[in-house]
Amino acid sequence: MFKLIRIISLFALLSAWICSAQAPLAEERILLTFVPNVQFAPFYVGIEKGFFAKAGFDVRLEHLQEPEVLDLVAVRQADFGVVSGEQVILARSRGRDVVYIFEWFQQYPVALVHSDALKLTDLEQLRGLKVGIPGRFGANYSGLTTLLSSAGLSESDIEVNEIGFNAAEVVCLGAVDAAMVYANNEPLQIRDRAAAGDCGDITDVEVITVASQVDLVSNGLIVSRSLLEAAPDSATAMALALKEALQFSINNPAAAYLASLRHVDTLPGDESLIAELEAVAERQAQFLAAKPDRAGVAESRAELLRQLAEQFDASVLTQFQVLLNTIELWDADQLGVSALASWEAMRDTLALMGFLGGELGDLSDAFSNEYVLGGSE
Amino acid sequence: MAKNESTRPDTARFIAHGTILRRLSPLATVLVLLLAWHWITDWRLVSRILIPPPAAVLEAFTQAMVDGTLARHTTTTLGEMMVGLLFGVSVGLAIGYAIAKAPLLEYILSPVIVGFQSTPIVAYAPLLIIIFGTGPSSKVVTTAVIVFFPTLVNTIVGIRGVSPRLRDLMRSLNAGRWQVLLKLELPSALPVLLAGLKTSTTLAVIGAVVGEFVGSGSGLGVLVISARSQYDTPLVYVTVLTMTAIALSLYSLVALVEWRVLDWQRRSA
Amino acid sequence: MRLSLQGVEVGYPAPSGAYLPALGPISFDVADDEFVCLVGPSGCGKSTLIRVLAGLLPPTAGTAYCGDELINRPLPQTAIMFQDTNLMPWRTVLDNIALPLEIVGATKTERFRIVRELLPQLNLEGFEFAYPAELSGGMAQRVALGRVILQQPRIWLLDEPFGALDALTREKLSLELLRLRGRSQQTIVLVTHDISEAVLLADRIIVISRRPGTLAADIDIDLPRPRSADMIYQPGFLRLAKQVRACIEDLRD
Repeated sequence: MFKLIRIISLFALLSAWICSAQAPLAEERILLTFVPNVQFAPFYVGIEKGFFAKAGFDVRLEHLQEPEVLDLVAVRQADFGVVSGEQVILARSRGRDVVYIFEWFQQYPVALVHSDALKLTDLEQLRGLKVGIPGRFGANYSGLTTLLSSAGLSESDIEVNEIGFNAAEVVCLGAVDAAMVYANNEPLQIRDRAAAGDCGDITDVEVITVASQVDLVSNGLIVSRSLLEAAPDSATAMALALKEALQFSINNPAAAYLASLRHVDTLPGDESLIAELEAVAERQAQFLAAKPDRAGVAESRAELLRQLAEQFDASVLTQFQVLLNTIELWDADQLGVSALASWEAMRDTLALMGFLGGELGDLSDAFSNEYVLGGSE
Repeated sequence: MAKNESTRPDTARFIAHGTILRRLSPLATVLVLLLAWHWITDWRLVSRILIPPPAAVLEAFTQAMVDGTLARHTTTTLGEMMVGLLFGVSVGLAIGYAIAKAPLLEYILSPVIVGFQSTPIVAYAPLLIIIFGTGPSSKVVTTAVIVFFPTLVNTIVGIRGVSPRLRDLMRSLNAGRWQVLLKLELPSALPVLLAGLKTSTTLAVIGAVVGEFVGSGSGLGVLVISARSQYDTPLVYVTVLTMTAIALSLYSLVALVEWRVLDWQRRSA
Repeated sequence: MRLSLQGVEVGYPAPSGAYLPALGPISFDVADDEFVCLVGPSGCGKSTLIRVLAGLLPPTAGTAYCGDELINRPLPQTAIMFQDTNLMPWRTVLDNIALPLEIVGATKTERFRIVRELLPQLNLEGFEFAYPAELSGGMAQRVALGRVILQQPRIWLLDEPFGALDALTREKLSLELLRLRGRSQQTIVLVTHDISEAVLLADRIIVISRRPGTLAADIDIDLPRPRSADMIYQPGFLRLAKQVRACIEDLRD
């Protein structure tokens, strides 16, 4: 009998010791869209450089379609998700009480790409042209609608072709005059193909970003209202951790690229590139120690690419260049903060598309900058 | 033993086949599912965001019927399916017949056929969209490709299964090629061919919708995506149920044809 | 119409590449209007021989003639009845019997009329819309017989047509065959493994040796016609049956 009690108490002691010895990290899923890609570098940095762990999170990344991300967050099957702002508005109009607490992309990432032979100087010139979009949904469609309305045009003034996510192929085939694409990615792809003589008659492309015309709210971190009520500190901690990881990625793209290698199988990274990037990241860290300003850092990024381009083929550096292009869409004086005006512009665009099915309610409920500003307003 | 009068197969007998209980049992299944669905949402066992209540789906259905959305997209999908079925089944029949007659062809074509068949259509549908464009023709192609294989395999099985003794009989009667085809091979292979057609009709829905998912302007696949992207879950359910209804109707149509033309099989059983 | 076999041989290549003889060489004639039965141990090539005569199987060597015509394809003046009924299961009795008429392009009403006239002779009245699977073995065999009659052949090639039936039905059908033949004379070659059936029906019995089958004996059956079931108990019949049996038994060792 005594023996049994001893064993039991031993177990109790042991388990208490194990629990106290490990700093308890909360396992958290962050639901992302698309597929693993260097564009998600801040999240890889957050994991690899310990920003999430420092905030008490053991983060797992998963990739789903936007509506799935949003619904799973809305019913709290996951605490955090990353979607575009328009999804927040659409879903809120259909009864999903989600809140956008961190604006990741400061610039709307979508742009109109067209052959430079077309020489579009004014969006008005789109009239009567064939424009490809993946389909009448998502950021590309919102972006197109916004571009058209900013030029006083409507969808009926152009010929919309639904081409799926095949813009590079379709543009090179000459099947459309222009296409809505992600500004940081497809234009690069098309230019690479054009340079290789693999893009029909097209030798170069021009890009008109949506952000250059209208400030639309873009991709960011969402949580459910119930999480904010139950665990506001958790939301604050995540927003701040993401802010740090994002700032790190903006400041030191070479280090961000290296952090992404473990998460993105298709990312080019042979030994010579890794060695060089490690050296570059080290030099960048020293440079950053001198606390340069935002413009100085931006200048250093451009210089960094020039250095790498001397040693490596353009094809090896494409993804690194995608990262640099994307950083331009992230960078801002104040990371994570979204403006009411950008939400109103997005709402107007969605109304124009006839997508607002239900009651939207007060737009200021859709987002909050409180958490990224450290929980104090 | 046969009855003296001629007994003709008819539609009424098809429907009247079996007892009342047996006829009602599928309905009962549907009813139980509907009730379960209602209670699950009514008692909030699952969030209504994930599963909308049946009443909301019915409402979305009425709305989509009234404003013509559902009819428009259904017409597109049905059209793509029908043309795709026509192409896929004809080509499957023709190549299947050729292979059944010339086994050497099987050796020549098998790498292509097995390769195509073992690759999921979802994986290469985007390539077909690039090649055949974003209009209905690419969906006709995805449908044709997906229905081609069951037709091909069943044609080969059906034609190879024709009794060699009956072939001898036709030869001894000096029957021509067409007569052998129409009076022997076709009726002999018909049970297998119709079984293949039943599979093909259900696959045709998949083929058309997968094509629409990848890139299209109209069709039920597009309606699912656009309803989903607008968080209109009831409309997603309406669209999915419409696809089910299309598949079921076509399947039943073939089953009815089967019942009528294969009367002899039932009476021989 | 006369049939003539001259040194007919049939063989197949074995998987090893060697030549496997199945029949012959065999030579014999069948006179005009003669009824010849082929008997012999199983596997001796009787069915192969019938297929050669039907023009379904080209001989490896030798020639077969029907009158003056070389048999190198199914000839229109011959009809073959197969071992099983070989009916199309998806066709009714009427449509199965009418198949030969359909092949030569007779209209539907014409076919219906001709088959309707034939049905009483075949004892199949009232069964025109039954499917083969709904018939008894004897009835199905009469459908197959009707199909042969409709071809109005000058030469009947019958490959153990009643083999699957019980003894009484077989005897009945055999005599019916004689009765149906009675009206217009035709040349008949019948393969059977039943000695009394052969003696009862034939003008002449050809005994074929074990594989590869060659001519082992050629026995004239000089029993009077018309023949009846009672004859099988007569001494003349028994003597001939015994003689045929002895020939076949000699072939086994």
